[in-house]
Amino acid sequence: MSRSILITGANGALGLAIAECFLTRETDCHVFLGVRERRDRAAELATRFPGRADLITLEITSPEAWKAALAEIERQGATPGVLINNAGFHEDALLANMTQDQWSRVMDTNLNAVFHGCQAVLPAMMRERQGRIVNISSLSAISSPAGQTNYAAAKAGVVGLTQSLAKESARMGITVNAVCPGYIEGGLPADWTPEHVKALKMQLPMRRFAKPAEVAAAVFFLASAEASYITGSTLKIDGGLL
Amino acid sequence: MPTRQRLKELMISELMLDMTADEIGDDTPLFGPAGIGLDSVDALQLVVMIEKHFGFKMADQDQAKRILQSVNTIAEALDQKAVA
Repeated sequence: MSRSILITGANGALGLAIAECFLTRETDCHVFLGVRERRDRAAELATRFPGRADLITLEITSPEAWKAALAEIERQGATPGVLINNAGFHEDALLANMTQDQWSRVMDTNLNAVFHGCQAVLPAMMRERQGRIVNISSLSAISSPAGQTNYAAAKAGVVGLTQSLAKESARMGITVNAVCPGYIEGGLPADWTPEHVKALKMQLPMRRFAKPAEVAAAVFFLASAEASYITGSTLKIDGGLL
Repeated sequence: MPTRQRLKELMISELMLDMTADEIGDDTPLFGPAGIGLDSVDALQLVVMIEKHFGFKMADQDQAKRILQSVNTIAEALDQKAVA
């Protein structure tokens, strides 16, 4: 049976790679590309897979927006069998200087949105007694650098949510897993200088960042039928950094 | 198939219980150590199962608590719904 895949943050490097991975490896699936204002790259991907990928406007921090997006997907005769909670961003500051807004924005997008997304898709998955949820956490959840108290807390929260929800949904044929990527090409802050990037790579055992497709492949596996006994797991994808 | 027997067989398959329908008495408590020993996740699944297979939607958690006591209490609620 063909599956419908909903990916948030689908205009970013990792979201695009995940979408492309599903579209090329699972040739009968349909992918819904969750986007906000920026949608140019997702739109380009959709044109390369005519009839198999649709953009869907999704403000992930709003439960109402999730309901509207799910209603739109159902209007197209589909229900998401796979949810990839990929959207996220960081807004770094030392805690001593962090504003309440900086804390709240990062928590809303990186943690609260995962809660809203899971809650939105679960009823249909429970009725169907099958489903796959993969939450994109971060290496910061496991080893938290200075300046990321908000982001690290949110991403660690995603790991906790994943483990708990996995136990709640295990008997319903639904698996919930998280991945913790390290540095990914195309996902680096714009203000990092080439010298900083070079120095960073020297600290990595593989001396390179992950290609988005390398992370996407792991996400695809966790969402596959073959991963049916894996739930509540957190997979770090960091080239051996930790 | 009689409602009680259908409920037991659905419970066994959907809650993945390692028992036979004969081992579930009509009045056996569904929850707690004195009964079958279902937990809160099973309760959620029961609510979904009853809605999906019998078209009976629980109004709220209080109603679910009242109805999900035993096979008999569920069957009685389904019978009342059929009469109403």
